Amino acid sequence: MIDTRLPMTVIGGYLGAGKTTLINRLLAEPHGKRLMLLVNDFGAINIDADLLDSADEDTLTLTNGCVCCTMGSDLFMAISDVLKRAPRPDHLIIEASGVADPYRIANTAIAEPEMRYAGIVTVVDAENFQALSDDPLIGPQIAQQVACADLVYVSKSDGIAADLMRSLRAINQAQPVILQDGILASSLLLAEHDAMHADPSPASHPNYAQLDYSGDMVCDYAALSAWLAQRPKSLFRVKGFVMGPQDQGWLVQVVGQNIAISPIANPAQSTLVAIGLLAATSGSELHDWWPG
Amino acid sequence: MSKITVFQTKKIITIDPNCPVATHVAVQDGKILAVGAADCADEWGVSHTDTRLADTVLMPGFVEAHAHMLAGAIWNYGYAGYHDRIDPNGKLWTGLTNIEAVIDGLKTQAQSLPEGAPLVAWGFDPIFLTDERLSRHHLDQISPTRPIAVLFSNFHLMCVNSAALELAEYSQYTNVEGVVKGPDGQPTGELQEMAAMFPVMHRLGIDFRNLGQTEQAIRSYGAVARQAGVTTVTDLFSMMEEGDLKLMQRVTSEPGFPVRIVPAMAATGARPEQLAQRAIELRGRSTDKLRLGAVKLMTDGSIQGWTARVKWPGYVGGQPNGIWNTAPTQIGEICDVMHREGVQMHIHVNGDEASEVVINALDAASRNTPGQDNRHVLQHGQMMGADQFQRCAELGITVNLFANHIWYFGDQHVALTIGNNRATRMNACRTALDCGVHLAIHSDAPVTPMGPLFTAWCAVNRQTMSGRTLGAAQCISVDEALYAITLGAAYSLKMEAEIGSIETGKIADFAILGADPTAVDAQDLKDVPVLGTVSGGVVQLQ
Repeated sequence: MIDTRLPMTVIGGYLGAGKTTLINRLLAEPHGKRLMLLVNDFGAINIDADLLDSADEDTLTLTNGCVCCTMGSDLFMAISDVLKRAPRPDHLIIEASGVADPYRIANTAIAEPEMRYAGIVTVVDAENFQALSDDPLIGPQIAQQVACADLVYVSKSDGIAADLMRSLRAINQAQPVILQDGILASSLLLAEHDAMHADPSPASHPNYAQLDYSGDMVCDYAALSAWLAQRPKSLFRVKGFVMGPQDQGWLVQVVGQNIAISPIANPAQSTLVAIGLLAATSGSELHDWWPG
Repeated sequence: MSKITVFQTKKIITIDPNCPVATHVAVQDGKILAVGAADCADEWGVSHTDTRLADTVLMPGFVEAHAHMLAGAIWNYGYAGYHDRIDPNGKLWTGLTNIEAVIDGLKTQAQSLPEGAPLVAWGFDPIFLTDERLSRHHLDQISPTRPIAVLFSNFHLMCVNSAALELAEYSQYTNVEGVVKGPDGQPTGELQEMAAMFPVMHRLGIDFRNLGQTEQAIRSYGAVARQAGVTTVTDLFSMMEEGDLKLMQRVTSEPGFPVRIVPAMAATGARPEQLAQRAIELRGRSTDKLRLGAVKLMTDGSIQGWTARVKWPGYVGGQPNGIWNTAPTQIGEICDVMHREGVQMHIHVNGDEASEVVINALDAASRNTPGQDNRHVLQHGQMMGADQFQRCAELGITVNLFANHIWYFGDQHVALTIGNNRATRMNACRTALDCGVHLAIHSDAPVTPMGPLFTAWCAVNRQTMSGRTLGAAQCISVDEALYAITLGAAYSLKMEAEIGSIETGKIADFAILGADPTAVDAQDLKDVPVLGTVSGGVVQLQ
């Protein structure tokens, strides 16, 4: 049994925060996925000539199978167009505008049955964040971008200063994963079970760890909802299938703050995978919560 | 010399102070040759008299300086609104004033559709139907199997029936913000905001982007304009891709196309320098009936949606301040580049903080590049006061106020958004004129129906739907309002040399009226019949 829905990730963050740098990196990193990226403006997209297959007015096609498009004025129509593409990409990534609330975009993936929410990544500029969040004109919108994030990516800094970390934690009570610049982003951002296993060398991303479960765990909808709501918040990802008490079982997709439980035919056994930062997956809190 | 036609009329209101009223207008080659009495064109040689308009009153063709192409094509869908409206084919759609009427009206609409085809309707407004909330249970009475979607008038919400919910796979297990659930845990059918509406729109093929860019959409838009006496209409947020442009050029160039269209290209999706370059290139491709070269810049949201950026003390309900669709620093950058490159901007500003940010940006831009005559326009400017209008006058900024809001939303603004004090001075036409600002007024169709005489009535009477006069101090005279919907609006489009008044040398664009708007009671201004238009000398009767 596999989940065939198109995963969608939204990259948010204010103007100049470093969204394009992250997008350039995603296009070039060897993640082996055919990504589709919808961006506001090509201007800053920087593709090595030997990676570029073709380019026209609003589409760049890469030799590694990735495609980058401008979204035009209507993001939702652009998403509708992506769903009509054949074959569909492996993963859709949307660059929110510098003032957009990424949640309002990402909510489309929660609503749309053929898509799956794969998280909100908000890029924060270490140099300017404090000043921007104090700006009465734009501060509240900047804060909302952080508040809805599942993963905060701090750019333009070698480390994350303690006061910046405190500010981010204060804005986002859900304790998002906070990453600093320079760390290979694709494996957590695109965090998919298969991709994690496909990489033979776990040492290449030492910051992440994974837990697996398979067994005879049985839950009804209410019990499963309640159990997932109590998960250690620093887990980035939980996915799998859980057996129900009657004919119906459940498809579970947790990304950051978002929990989605969909009814499916009852699976033969329950299988679950959790992915998070190593620090988060090694604590006793997680092992007390995890089944088996 | 080509033929000279002298139109005989009951009265011509020229909006030209040199000859304010007349009975005859002579037209040659689509232009106004002379204005006056029956003999006005005698000095130009042989003419013939056209008596088709002998029982009518002529005004300069009205200029709708803020509307959207969607106003035509939205009639591809059925109408489910509270107020009576007339579609581009001239059909009257009676307002549906309670839930039973909505159900019956939609039942009738469904009868003309093929079996199983989706029924989509627009214009529903829950503000006016306060007894109960529209739900899937109501819509299921129309059909349990045909998918039905009723778009609300603000386009931010819809209500769908059970068949449409099923298509979108919405159920008790759905946990999506915007999918409203009832006490039974099941979706009620109401879907709020684009994300929640998306699965239904995607499956029913509701596509506002393409809806506004078809040949039929352009023709419908022309028909909507003609019915309102409008001979020049804007499309203020146009994508202007190459294919769209070719189609518009072709359709608008046909002989007898009834209206001049002035699209403003959306200032999004590229660097300001590139956008300016594109706008300048488009300007060079203008034709008689298609006037290109301006851009539209969005800044804040709407007051009734609590997304406008307002100054202290904010919203009366304690809602947080609104949102920027373009960041203030980016507004500054775009204003600077467009101003420098000589591109006219139409800038959406609803709240008074948004208008202030934009005035500051244009002030800075004009210091960086003095001497430009770009005549940028603040669009809506609903909360602007004398302080801001004064600066606009000094900076050469034109203002296009949203007079229709007073009637449609005035009561809501008092009770729910910005409160009594500021609501009474919303869309402050009197103050704008007293400050020396060039003023236009608009409908923002399809947000409110296109009808410049209604818009003028709003600015003159400032009456709300409950009958209250909202800020009598801001009322303007009938003459001032008629100026605003003709020459004032033409000025905001930099077209005052060609249109906006009936005087020698201008284009023969007229509104044909069934009564004299300067002679009727000011309360009756909105009821003056529009019989058709003359566009470039061609008579277009309804």
